[in-house]
Amino acid sequence: MSTIKVSKVEPVTSGGDCIVKATNIVGNKNLMINGAMQVAQRGTSSTSSGIRTLDRFSFNYGGHDESPTQAQHALTSSDTGPWEKGFRYSYHITNGNQTGGAATSDHCFFGYYIEAQDLANSGWDYTDPSSYITLSYWVKTSIAGTYYGYIETLDGTSQLFSLSTGALSANTWTKVINKIPGNANITIDNNNGPGFHMPFLWPYNGTQRTDSGHTLGAWAAYSGTSRTPDYAASTWWTTNDSTMEITGVQLEVGDIATGFENRTYADELRRSQRYYYKWVAGVSGYKFAARYNATGSGQDIPGMYWFPTTMRANPTGAFVGTWAQSNCSGISISGTSTDGCYIRAETSGSGSTTYYPDGASNGFTMTAELS
Amino acid sequence: MTYKLLRDDEFGNKTTGIIRILDSAYIPEDPSNTDYQKYLEWVADGNTASAAD
Repeated sequence: MSTIKVSKVEPVTSGGDCIVKATNIVGNKNLMINGAMQVAQRGTSSTSSGIRTLDRFSFNYGGHDESPTQAQHALTSSDTGPWEKGFRYSYHITNGNQTGGAATSDHCFFGYYIEAQDLANSGWDYTDPSSYITLSYWVKTSIAGTYYGYIETLDGTSQLFSLSTGALSANTWTKVINKIPGNANITIDNNNGPGFHMPFLWPYNGTQRTDSGHTLGAWAAYSGTSRTPDYAASTWWTTNDSTMEITGVQLEVGDIATGFENRTYADELRRSQRYYYKWVAGVSGYKFAARYNATGSGQDIPGMYWFPTTMRANPTGAFVGTWAQSNCSGISISGTSTDGCYIRAETSGSGSTTYYPDGASNGFTMTAELS
Repeated sequence: MTYKLLRDDEFGNKTTGIIRILDSAYIPEDPSNTDYQKYLEWVADGNTASAAD
């Protein structure tokens, strides 16, 4: 066996592929969940701000005249670039009609939160400037230009590292790569709180949050008025129905963007359910829930439901749709843990008592997202 | 945003957590729950949850 010692192996073209046949390349390198935009428990289209469609990813906006639309978008073979890499969905934004133009406070961005302990245990030596993590993703926009974003640490004194897409051509998929070094001022706790806030791509950001003198790509103490350089143009925001979509989002330890860690739908769903879980009956009239033979009124009818995976924190629980109540009333979610929830109703009198989701689409949601 | 307390169970045991009236969501008393964090901020602003039904 011969040995070749090199400090780095990179593809011929930036963002291209470099095939390495090795036996020690392991999985679980992507610190982000649902980067291929496969899982959308909440729905596939929304005009609301926040995490509304794709799991784990948010699209936030403000200062708008008409709300943008966020959607899980099916790719086709004409989506040259991500399609050949096995991506079948994108996170797609269609702008609203911003008739008032671009005010200094107007903004919109793709966002993501990473749990602190996932960063702390990742292997990234985050206080060492020679240790890196690398963010990569595919992006396509209808408006050519350079777009910015940033990463913000949330433990200790908050630090910010700004990002750029580089110059994007219109209607062309481009792979963006951002290398992020460690820094002595970074603090990341080993717990289930937020470690990174990642508003990593802003289709537009007004000057209220940007600074013409901002130094791009360098760690600095967080400043709400100097998150990125100023945008050269507000065209994306002021163009009705302009679009931007992303897929293949990956954050990995090291200073090279390796190929995306393709995961199965089942794997991404289970990872996503640590933060949000939606259960619906699935069958109309299905009597899933509690049944009890009451001996009088005022008795609590308990029902316990176990989650498919341990959630990040005790979740907020809410019913979806109506639940039928027979010989009982006041149904409520009355307790949650990271592993399950407790539902109860109070009997109205003696006799057979039951409650259940009153429709195939009815059930409950459990939310333990980071913010 | 307003909240209300949950009734105790039929045996008088205290039920923890609060109900967010806007969407009737149950919020556990978990410091890691971001909705509970918002509730604590709401209380710190001098607000008080309504009594249980």
